[in-house]
Amino acid sequence: MQSPDLSQNYFELFGINPVFDIDCSRLHAEQQRLQATYHPDRYVNASEHDKRVSVQVASWVNQAYETLQDPVKRSRYLLEINGADIPDDSTTTSDSVFLMEQIDLREQVESCRHGEDGLQQSHKIETRLAHRADELAREFVAHFKAGEFDKAIVSSRKMQFIQRIQQQLSELQFELEEL
Amino acid sequence: MALLQISEPGEATVPHAHRHSAGIDLGTTNSLVATVRSGEAICLPDEDGRSLLPSVVNFGNAQTLVGYEAQALQTSDPLNSIASIKRLMGRARQDVIQLGDVVPYEFVTSEGSNVPRIRTRSGDLSAVEISAEILKTLTHRATQSLGGDLDGVVITVPAYFDDAQRQATRDAATLAGLNLFRLLNEPTAAAVAYGLDRDADGLIAVYDLGGGTFDISILRLNKGVFEVLATGGDSSLGGDDMDHALGEWIVRQGGFADIDTKLARHILLAARQAKEELTTTESTGILIEYQQQQWSGTIDRHQFNELIQPLVQKTLTACRRALRDAGISKNDIGQVVMVGGSTRVPLVQSMTGEFFEREPMCELDPDKVVALGAAIQADILAGNKPDSDMLLLDVLPLSLGIETMGGLSEKIISRNTAIPVARGQDFTTFKDGQTAMSIHVVQGERELVSDCRSLARFDLCGFPPMTAGAARIRVTYQVDADGLMSVSAEETTSGVSADIVVKPSYGLTDTEIESMLRDSMEHAREDIELRMLKEQQVEAKRVVEAINTALAQDGEVLLSNSEIARIHKHRDQLETAIETGSAAELKQLIKALEDASEIYVARRMNASVQVALTGKQIDEVDV
Repeated sequence: MQSPDLSQNYFELFGINPVFDIDCSRLHAEQQRLQATYHPDRYVNASEHDKRVSVQVASWVNQAYETLQDPVKRSRYLLEINGADIPDDSTTTSDSVFLMEQIDLREQVESCRHGEDGLQQSHKIETRLAHRADELAREFVAHFKAGEFDKAIVSSRKMQFIQRIQQQLSELQFELEEL
Repeated sequence: MALLQISEPGEATVPHAHRHSAGIDLGTTNSLVATVRSGEAICLPDEDGRSLLPSVVNFGNAQTLVGYEAQALQTSDPLNSIASIKRLMGRARQDVIQLGDVVPYEFVTSEGSNVPRIRTRSGDLSAVEISAEILKTLTHRATQSLGGDLDGVVITVPAYFDDAQRQATRDAATLAGLNLFRLLNEPTAAAVAYGLDRDADGLIAVYDLGGGTFDISILRLNKGVFEVLATGGDSSLGGDDMDHALGEWIVRQGGFADIDTKLARHILLAARQAKEELTTTESTGILIEYQQQQWSGTIDRHQFNELIQPLVQKTLTACRRALRDAGISKNDIGQVVMVGGSTRVPLVQSMTGEFFEREPMCELDPDKVVALGAAIQADILAGNKPDSDMLLLDVLPLSLGIETMGGLSEKIISRNTAIPVARGQDFTTFKDGQTAMSIHVVQGERELVSDCRSLARFDLCGFPPMTAGAARIRVTYQVDADGLMSVSAEETTSGVSADIVVKPSYGLTDTEIESMLRDSMEHAREDIELRMLKEQQVEAKRVVEAINTALAQDGEVLLSNSEIARIHKHRDQLETAIETGSAAELKQLIKALEDASEIYVARRMNASVQVALTGKQIDEVDV
């Protein structure tokens, strides 16, 4: 089998511009086109070597897709390929305003669990979080375009935090629906 | 043989390259085999026209029976009639203990093996070996029907099956001597069977309630590509549980005491029968007659619905979770496909319809739909349909993690990640000169390792000794398209790969599989057949040789010309068959030659007796 150039970055692999605002449907279409070529099911009757390569390439394509389709991972990856030095997750934020916001959001989510109209309340928070995620994404793009990688990293981390809260809220909504 | 080729000009060439393939639904209650013939998927029936093969194996004194015959022996020989073995695939002893009050078998665990075995007349057998018996029966059916060996098969598994359960299924295929193209998730197979790949793009929910497992899968279809967005379910929830719920009701109603294995079996069979009756009738009678105990009663559908309502509710909870995992709402679902015999139960259909707010699809036989889909996929994978652009993309059903300090599981690859997938993780050594490390891989969503399913311990060794913290060990976890995981490791500064010793927590080790292969019944049978052929060939040569020698000696003296011609005819037939005939054919031809020579042998005996007698005293003749 003809393996693709594994030294390409993920954007090159999918043939899309290395920017934050990407066309997700195009990304998805490209992902399927690549899988249609490299998926192990296409190599069931091939040599052991080709079978192995196909598993590796298909894995790589999946990894690339997963990275680009998730806004937080995409933002980090963009910084990475542009040579930014991203500190690991354990570094705590010194942005006290954002710290307060984090505590506030967490409390709001937790309060849904006990409130009378928890589910309804959770939907309001959901909208607010989606709004905030958009805001942070715009902030990231601005910093990234200006080459202010340090600030872009902070935005990316804030996006990550919002995403986590969104997941927690989603779990909570599931529990509330079950009651 | 050009003269035998009859084809119209312009007609497609004979498909020389056509490869035999089959799809196998290895089910908890029933198993099926299907194939694509003339472009259409069909289930292959047995000699009596029955497509279903009850997943029951009986280990008798003389032979191993699979299917209806084994099922018939369930009551009289419960300890050697193994049913619902799928529930034990890839399971450990503690899981088996949980099933203790459900199954009557005697379990044993042997030294040095984590695999629980069932004590039978044919020895202590693992779930893999018992499943292989079912696969062999289905394979036999397929090869008979297709007139040749199978080039490969697709076997379906519940989407919810974890690594150990998938591995066990793969092992069973190996043991049955099958070339496994792929393990396919049952719900995906069902969607393929409905030909939804040719439908408009959209989202599909596949609701699969079988005998022992429940699966819900959310699929996205986009230009012939099926993508599993999320799967969920319960690997021990199904129609059997309905039987048990009804069985318990019967026990309460009938006031049965001292329930032994056989009575329990009676009650369960009666419960299953009543359940099946209630799919078409509003009420049905139940009669239990066992030794001194007798009870008869009736149950109506309303009562039955009350008994099983909590079970159906459990399936809908799993549906909600799967929708959430897929990040979609009920309204986004375009089609709901019903799979599995238990979806015949009216309450299941109505509650599912209400939940998804649309009429579920149940036109195809829910028992056959998975096998049919598997056959279509097998046909494509065999290369018989080069134009097909159908592609099935799957996700990992349960998160993979490794054990970290304090018995916590650190997720390496999370649930519903598209597979195949690989993840790397870097470790370093914490002691000077350390050359080995151990990684414990678990599968499951819970945080504590003890709440997850232990898959394997990987001992990585052979790193170059370095000072603590200097080595950089990159461990790669690779999950293949079947959802099976492997681990490799390399010290990146020196490029030295680690030697890996895998200690599976539940599955069979490679050595165990190998020895089973050696001992496997199929191989033994092949050996016996080969030996029988060899024996008959030797015998045939001996007989021909003997006849030729005799004829040369005194044929013309003792036989008429027509008698000689008759013997020649049979001798020539046998001689030409020696290289090509089967053992049975040779045996028959030897017999024919012996029969034809009977008169000759008799005359020779008489003659030789006379010769012998003339030279000897009467008292020297052995009597």
